[in-house]
Amino acid sequence: MSASVLVPSVVSPVVVSLYLPAVFTAILAALIGLLAISNQKNDLHTLILTDIVGVGMLILVAAVGTDLAESLILPGLVVELAEIMAISEILMSREMRKLGKTVELIPLPLNMNMEIMDTAPTFIAILLIAYGAFLTGFTGGAVAGGGILFYVLSKMTRGVPTNTWEGIAGASGIAWCLWLVGFLIFFIAPNYWLLALFLGAFGVFIKVTFKVGLVGVMGREEFKREKE
Amino acid sequence: MDLSTLGGQFIGIIPLGDIVLYFTTFNLFMFAAVLAFTVLIAISRTESQVEAQFGTLKDREKKVGKAEFKIRRFLAIVCGLATAGAMVTGDVFDFTLFVALIGIVNIGIVAAVKEIDVLDSAFQYGIIAMIASLPLFGGAAFILASSGTLSLLEIVNIPTTTLMLFGSILLFLGVAGETGVAPFFATKAEMFRTPGSPFLLIIHLSSLMVIVRIIEILLIINKPF
Repeated sequence: MSASVLVPSVVSPVVVSLYLPAVFTAILAALIGLLAISNQKNDLHTLILTDIVGVGMLILVAAVGTDLAESLILPGLVVELAEIMAISEILMSREMRKLGKTVELIPLPLNMNMEIMDTAPTFIAILLIAYGAFLTGFTGGAVAGGGILFYVLSKMTRGVPTNTWEGIAGASGIAWCLWLVGFLIFFIAPNYWLLALFLGAFGVFIKVTFKVGLVGVMGREEFKREKE
Repeated sequence: MDLSTLGGQFIGIIPLGDIVLYFTTFNLFMFAAVLAFTVLIAISRTESQVEAQFGTLKDREKKVGKAEFKIRRFLAIVCGLATAGAMVTGDVFDFTLFVALIGIVNIGIVAAVKEIDVLDSAFQYGIIAMIASLPLFGGAAFILASSGTLSLLEIVNIPTTTLMLFGSILLFLGVAGETGVAPFFATKAEMFRTPGSPFLLIIHLSSLMVIVRIIEILLIINKPF
């Protein structure tokens, strides 16, 4: 079976001819990474070098360039991230057990004195939230949540009433359920795809916004505390 | 060749949009077996490990706290469900995702232990699992590039090309690394020295079942008969 059967004629031959170079690039990158790992004695360096092999994997999948390949890239990337985090956690806890000391993942409290944190937070937060609402979906949620995060980190007020806290967390959970319902509708009743799309887009938008905002409220307590 | 050549009687499919599960006598049996084992593991109580000591007649007992076991039990159940999903999926795409999930969860099950030896081997296993994601996803990408689909129900009807053969070999390498069988089993055997037996068994069980399934998938893709 030749390539012309699978590749539709609208795709330009230049794009088609890029497949083989991309595959060889990926294999070359992976080989370089593996060679480096085989020469490496330090565990931390080995872990970081493994990421090069992961990049090779991403190139290999991206070379195919169809929408199915795109949906394969996303879990590939997530798997890489999850594994590198899990393994670095293992490495840390092993070293801590060897030394008998414990270390925080992020050394809080941080001490930051920047002018932008006094003058700009309201404006930047409104801008980011408006842009996030325009984007919707996960990206929009992350952008708007970033705005809230920046706002709560910058403002000096401390302490949130428990009711407010739990209310926001609950709303975030309900919004996530909307996203799940939207996802289910896609599979069960594909005719209502527009409803499913909007449920999913706004559900995940609200959920991510609130979640990132809550992270900011949580972080601020540690962030603003003076270093002893 | 069709799917019933290997799997026995073709019972039916569950179409969920793009995601199609199919049942034959063979993979339905494996699915049920994995689910039964998962239930057994989920309801079982933990055992404490007893080690004989050299030079004395005393034994040393290792116990693990309840909070740690809660997480480990949850991860074991996730691992069991992922294995069960890999048994009945009709998609190479879903299969690779399930295998990658099994790899991560296996690391997670042993990540919280306190023995340095076990953490050491878990680290080595994790490195291999990360490297193995290249052939795993790369193999799936080659099969996709050469056949235009990842659905097993479609691939069965497409004549095999050399690139599909190459892709399926890569896929097998990826699964071998991700589940830690044959050439990579040394680190996994060390991981088994963790106290808290019933939840660890799922690590072993998942790799056995996934290997049986990947061989079926390789035969479906390459159609030697």
